[in-house]
Formats: sequence, C-alpha cells, structure tokens
Amino acid sequence: MSSKRHSILPPVSSSGPKPPVHFSSSITIADSALLTGTHPIAIHSESVVHPRAKLDSLAGRITIGRRCIIHERSTLGAVGTSGKITEAAVTLGDYVTVEVGAAIEAGETVIGEGTVVGVGARVGAGAVVGKHCTLTPHSEIAAGEVVPDLTVVYSNGMRRTDKREVAELKNKGIARQIDVLRRMIPSNPAKFA
Amino acid sequence: MAAITPYTYIQCPCSDSSTLGRSSDTNSSRADGADDDDDRTFDPRAPRSNYSLYPLEYLLYCEDCHQIRCPRCVAEEIVTYYCPNCLFEVPSSNLKSEGNRCTRSCFQCPICIGPLAVTSVETKPDPSLLAAPDNTAAPQSGPYALTCSYCNWSSTEVGIKFDKPNGIHAQLSKLRNGGTARLTAKERKERRRDPSYRSSAATEQGDGRSGSDEKLDLETQFANLKSFYQSQLADPNASDGGLAALSDLGFSSPTSLSRIMSIYTGGSLHDKKAKLRVGAIREALEVDEGLQLADLDESAAIAQLHSEGHDGTASTSRLSDQPPNFGEAHLHGRSRFVSELRPIPYLLRTKRSKRCPVCRHIISKPEAKVQTTRFRIRLVAGSYIPSIAIRPLSLSSGSGTSASGSAGIPGALLEPLKPAHYLLTFTNPIFESIKVTLGAPAKTPGRFASKVTVLCPEFEIDANTDVWDEALKDPSGAGELRDRERERERRRHKGEEGGNVSNNNNQLEVGKIWERGRNWVSIVVEVVPAWLRLEHGTEEQRLREDEDLLEIPMFVRVEWEAEAVGDEVGAVVGRDKEAREKRELAYWCVLGLGRIRH
Amino acid sequence: MSLRRPPRGEYIETDTGNKVARKATLVGTQNIMLGGKTVIQPEVMIRGDLVRTIQASSQSGATPNSTAVAIGRYCFLSRGCCLRPPGRLYKGAFTYMPLRMGDHVFVGPGSVVQAASIGSHVHIGAKVVIGEFAIIKDYVRILDGTVVPPNMVIPNFSIVAGQPARLIGEVPEGGHEAFELRDLYKTVGNNPQPAPS
Repeated sequence: MSSKRHSILPPVSSSGPKPPVHFSSSITIADSALLTGTHPIAIHSESVVHPRAKLDSLAGRITIGRRCIIHERSTLGAVGTSGKITEAAVTLGDYVTVEVGAAIEAGETVIGEGTVVGVGARVGAGAVVGKHCTLTPHSEIAAGEVVPDLTVVYSNGMRRTDKREVAELKNKGIARQIDVLRRMIPSNPAKFA
Repeated sequence: MAAITPYTYIQCPCSDSSTLGRSSDTNSSRADGADDDDDRTFDPRAPRSNYSLYPLEYLLYCEDCHQIRCPRCVAEEIVTYYCPNCLFEVPSSNLKSEGNRCTRSCFQCPICIGPLAVTSVETKPDPSLLAAPDNTAAPQSGPYALTCSYCNWSSTEVGIKFDKPNGIHAQLSKLRNGGTARLTAKERKERRRDPSYRSSAATEQGDGRSGSDEKLDLETQFANLKSFYQSQLADPNASDGGLAALSDLGFSSPTSLSRIMSIYTGGSLHDKKAKLRVGAIREALEVDEGLQLADLDESAAIAQLHSEGHDGTASTSRLSDQPPNFGEAHLHGRSRFVSELRPIPYLLRTKRSKRCPVCRHIISKPEAKVQTTRFRIRLVAGSYIPSIAIRPLSLSSGSGTSASGSAGIPGALLEPLKPAHYLLTFTNPIFESIKVTLGAPAKTPGRFASKVTVLCPEFEIDANTDVWDEALKDPSGAGELRDRERERERRRHKGEEGGNVSNNNNQLEVGKIWERGRNWVSIVVEVVPAWLRLEHGTEEQRLREDEDLLEIPMFVRVEWEAEAVGDEVGAVVGRDKEAREKRELAYWCVLGLGRIRH
Repeated sequence: MSLRRPPRGEYIETDTGNKVARKATLVGTQNIMLGGKTVIQPEVMIRGDLVRTIQASSQSGATPNSTAVAIGRYCFLSRGCCLRPPGRLYKGAFTYMPLRMGDHVFVGPGSVVQAASIGSHVHIGAKVVIGEFAIIKDYVRILDGTVVPPNMVIPNFSIVAGQPARLIGEVPEGGHEAFELRDLYKTVGNNPQPAPS
C-alpha cells in the first residue's frame, strides 16, 4: 500500500442514467458522491454532500435546501415500497443533517428545516417530518407518516417534544461545521454537471 | 423463534441436592441420596436448573476445594466503588454520607437514561449567521443546563439551571424544580435560630395567613418534626416535676401508656390520670414544629393530566430510576409527571472480589484501581476444566467434506427422527493429560425424548503444553510461523483422513475418536431428535416454551494425575516429592444443540 | 498500483501485517494509523480526511498531530462498518477530534463508530451506532443493534445493549480470552486459514 496515495476509493458501479443537476455555486460535493436518476437534483447554497452519499432521482425530483449536510452512505430517494414516480421524490428544508447510512425513501417525502436524520434512520415514502425534529439513530418513520415540528424520535419509536429552543444555536453549529467541511472535502461539482 | 448456536452450560455443584445437605443430616440424606444419585439424570428443563447452569466463562474454580464455583455461590466483597461515568473512585466513607450515587457532575437523563452533558444556556445568537462564521467565541459563561445528547431533554424543562459548570450534584441538591432554592440542612438550622426569620414568620401569621401554609419540603419537615418530638420527650421533665422519676422513660413510661389507654377506653381512666395528661406529648401544631397541612387540592395535577394525557405521566420504570426527590413536598418526593422528573445522579459501580463459599479462600480479586483491568487473583474454571465446543457434522455429502461440516448451517432446525451428528471438541487447559469419561442418558428427559448416543464416551486428551503455545503465538518469529502452518496442515490432513474413513464406511465407528490434536479431542454424538407430537393426541396440547430445544444432559468426569502438592492439611504426612496423586472432577453439563422443527 | 502478487488478492497485505480489502473505502489514508495485524474487510469506510482543525491550546507550539483515526493491533473491522472521527464545537469553532482505538477491537458489520476513544479488547456487535465522543474502556461487549449515545462512558467489563445503551451485565472473569482476535486475524486475507476448532 503506497503511502503517497491520498485515499483508497474503489470504483463504484455508477450504473444508471446521469441526472440533470441544479447546483448552487457554493455547495461542496465530494467526487465520490453518487448521483443517479432521470429527474433533476437541486442542491442549494452551502450544502455539503459527503463521499459515497447517494442521491437517486429515478422516482422524482430531489431538492436539498441551504446548508444541509448529507453524510456518507446515506441515501436520498431510495425507491421504497411504493415504487411510484412522483413530482418531488425527496425535499429537504434548510439546515437538514442526514447522518451516516440514513435512508430517505422517495415519494413526496419532506424533511423540515433543521431536522437531524440520525445514523441508519429510515424515513418511509411520503412521510413528512416537521422542522427541528431529531430522529435518533436507527429510528424509523413509517411511509406517509406526519411528524410534527420539534419531535424527537428515540428508543425504538418513543416520541417527545424538544423543548430546548436551541434551533438557532444548532443552525449556527451547522454553519461552523460546514466551514470546516468545505476545507476538508475536495469538491467536484463539475463531475456531475 | 430465533435460531440458536450450539452452547454448553455447566452445572455448578452448589445446586446439587446431594451436597446441599448440612453436615448434621449428612447421614440420613446420604443414605437415600446415594442410590438416588446414581440413577438420577440431570434434567435441564427442571425449574431449578435455570439457576445452576452457567457458560464456562462465568464459572470460577477453587484450587483448595478442587471444585467449580458459580456466581450464585461465591461470596462477593466490594473492593472499589466508582462512578461509571467519570470513573472516579468513591471512598466508602463518602458512601455512608452521600449514598451510592456520584456526587460530582454525572447524571443520567430521566427520560431515556442517556448521559447528560453540562452545556451553557447561551443567549440567542444574533441572526447574522450567514455573514460571519467566526465573529464570536461562543460565550462559555452564563447559566448552564444538563442536556441529553440522545433525546434532547434539558434540565431547563424542569426549570433547573446552574451557575457553575462543575459540582452539579451539590448545586442540584439545592434547587427545586422550577429553579427555586432549597435549604440545606445547615441553612435550615441557621434559619430556625435566626430571629429575623422568626419574626418575619410571625408577621406572616399576623397577615391572617396561617404559617402552616408554607410549603416545607420533606427533609425540612422531617427535621422539624424530629426536633419537635425530641424537645417533647425532654419537656415533661421540666413541666411535670411530680413525675420526674418516671419521665425519663419517654414513650414507654406509664405516663404515655395511660395516655394511650385513655384514648381507647373512652376516658374511663380519665379522672384518675387527668393530672398526668398535662405532661403528655402533644402533636405538632406549627410549621416550626413540623406541621404540614396536606395539600388536597389536586386540580393542577388533574388539569395537567387533561392536557398531557397518558404520555405526560411518568412510567414506573422512570420513577424507579429517580432518586427520591425530597425537594418537592407532595407525593413524598415522587413525581407523577414526566415534566417533573429530575436528572438522575449515576449509581456507582463496584469492583468485587470473590471468595469460595466453603473454604473462604479468595478465588477472584481485581486490582483496586478503577481504570486497570488486571486481576491479582483470577481462578477461572476455563483454565481447569476442559472446554466443550459443539459443531454440527455432516456426513451426507460424499466429496471431501472435512470435519468442519459445511452443510451444517449454524442455527438450522433439526429434522425430527432424522439422525444428526455433532462434533464435540474437548480442549484440555491443564498441563497434565486428562482422561475424560462421558455419560449421557440414552433419551433426553422431558415429554419429548430424543435419542442420544455418545459414540466415544471415554478418551484421553494430551496435556496443554503452554510453552509451545506461547512460541506459536509470538508473532515475530517467521520460522515459528512456518511451524504453525505445518502443524495446521497436519491437523487438516488428519481431519480429512478421519472424514474419509467415516465416509467410506458411511458409518461412524463406535468407540473411536473422530480427530485429535495437541491438547484437544473431537468425538461424535449422534442424536435422533424427537417427534414433537404427543402420541395420544386427543387434547392438542401445545408445545411448551422451549420444548423444541434439544438439550442433552451429559455427565463429565475428568481424571488426571497431578503432582502431589501436599495439601495444607495433609502436609504433615511426609509425602514423597515425586509422588503423583490422582485427581478427579465430575460435573453435569448441558449441550444445547438446536431447535427441532415442528 | 503495485503488482506484488500476480493474481490480485482480495486484500492488500502490508509489511506490518495489516490486511486491507481492496474494496474498502479509506478516505485520507495519510491520517489513518494502523498498528499492524489489523483486518479491514470490504465495504468498510474510514474517514481519515476529517482531521482535527483546532489544536489544543496547550500544545500549539508542538507539531500538529494530523492523525484522524488511530487503530491498534489485531483490530477487525467487519464488512460495511464505518469509522469516523467525532466533531464538535470547540471555543466557538467546529473541529473534528481523533478517533483512537486500542488492540483487539472487533467492529461488527454495518456498525458506525464515532467514539473519541475505544480501549482494548472491545467487541462491538453488528449494526451498532456509537455516538460522538463516546469513551469505551477495555473488555467491553456491545451487543448487536445497540445505540451508544454521544458522550457516554462505558467502563471496563461492561456488557451494554439497547437504544440508548444501558448496562445489562458484566463480562465474567472467565470471559477475557474471548476478546482475543489473533485467531480471527488468520481466518481472513489472501490465504486464509480455517478457524481453529
């Protein structure tokens, strides 16, 4: 193993069509992110897409708001149980964090502003998750479910309301994190254009 | 129904009924027990067995008694108390005064039991977020709160904020829900003495409001009551000089007795003893004396119940996690609603040493320091008795199936009435060669009897040559690596040989070892799983829990010759150094093979 | 690409005995330290690129330590697991902190580890999530599907499970040897050896 090499990134089968993209000029998208599908993928200003994150617009348009962080191995627009093609497959508000290995199924699925989708969490097709929600790791939101604002889903589906009132603080933290990530993740939006 | 991987549980002798008898009645119990014992097959399904079967790792071994010891029979002694969060050792003197909880800043979330972190409750940041990322260093001052980073609970939800980021326990004990201060015992005492407070209390009473309206928390009330009754006990001396001789007897005095009698006899003794009652103990009448009027107005709680519903009430498990909250007057420190739950100070953990219950020798002793994982003494059964590994063995496929039994998918269901074979590998941990004798009932106990045949119930295992082993494990030597490979090759070869032999005959030879290695021996057990239907099936009795589990009771007897160490007791008898003495250890174990299809 | 072996094996075996699957994703390899004899199975992801950006003020003069993920000897990273350094706000700015792992650490398939430190002889089951800045000491067993919340400290000899993780038992005295991963190390690689019986 040569020490000069920067990374070991085995090639991934980038099968499937190349989707039309609408990127803001200020986004950071890793070279090894996976974008497939036929419908447009829009990523708004200052959002970060980590390596090996997968955005699939086969079942509809994917929209990512401002200052979202899409971590590695997460999947946006996974074709869920319905398999239907809808106008908007997945829509993320601003300041949404999708953590490692989380999956958001396609089909008019909406994640509200400031919501954190935890590690390995799943959001079913057509679910509408409110603003500033926290889905703890491995939480599951059933297809079509509506989750009110400020809900915390924890311990295998328990629900409670976040009463901390720290939304702005959290957003500020995300902004700081993006500052760092922009310097760390070599961005290559041209690859997907 | 979850698939299981084969397991071996070993029975600790402490639950053996024949050894349970006290020395006084050994004779009687032995007489009946002896012949009983020979026939008796250990039933893994017996209710008692649940408490006597352990995996090998959980068992210890007493070198003096030469016997297996289990977690149930050893005597534990606490070596160190420590907080599982900050890992600080807590001296046992603190334990007496502070209870078995961490008194630093370690708390668990009352909602989800996740750890709570101290975070500063910052003032709202200016909205110009997008503009300047590094304009301010986050204000590391200001009030602090405990927040859960898992479920996002915050102590601000119960109105608790802290001034300092450290010593949270001390701060919390002074805070009631909602943030109002709570008096410490010392402050209470001072306050009681303080004339200015007394006068202010008096003026309050003057306002027409009774002083007893003031809410006392439980600790204050208790302290008040205690001091009041103590003064009462002392008082009669002074007030009732005529009875001085009796007064110091307090409650047990005839004075008190007559008072109680008069209550129950409706005053028949009244005339005679009227005088005595002057000096009788009276009840608390004021707040200072600990009087607390019961707050019967529960409308607030009912309203809350209306608005929050069942989800707003605290579950019993959450309540049981809560330390008694003496800060709140109602419900004796218990909370009813989730919104009243307070942070839980971490319960302390312990490091414990273990003693043999019979000879009182220490058989396990960890080092006292919290962070170290070393043990001073650690006599685990695994280094004295052979371990038994179970593997399914498939003989059906002809072409070169090695002993690994590729067809036997771990956890697959056993087919009823279809013979299945399992490979038991016994590994000898001791430095002497051992002779193993196995005994298993031909049929498993229980309603559904599976047939069991141990093909080779008697064999010897070579000694565990540790030196050689160590040499192999040394990763530095390349030559040794080759040796190891060679040995492995040899082993594999042998295994194939064994496999071929059996395949050719298409039958396993009775009385023959399947495979043997440096310090291990594999033998084959044949089982014919039971048909899980009752013969007389008029009443379709359902299968009871785990009745489909095929468990084989097996009696293991291990014999070896050891250097006569000259037991402490027998040391006087001048034994020859060279003398070898025969040792023997016998125990029941249970082999769990898998579940039978039904 | 080196062509050391004519038939390309599934693993790259280094001089120190590390076995790294070619199908593993290691980002920022220069910041990943492997102690030797560590197995990295296919589809494992290690985020060495998320390196610390703020050095502790005390050692500002010293050469900046750019290790993002440090792994000891005889660790076993199962298929599909992910190691990434934890990140947080520190003095108003965001920074990642190194993830340190001792010896004989088993990480089960599909687990995501964002701990600050993991001791030695630790068994992490399948599909476990270890939250940011968790500290896991030695001889700890984390059962399958556990979610260890951020900042949790798990002391020596703990067995934890649940969401969030709670202590469910203690590793018995006789269970220490089960954490050894030397034998497991031999069972993978380009010429794997069968597990000893």
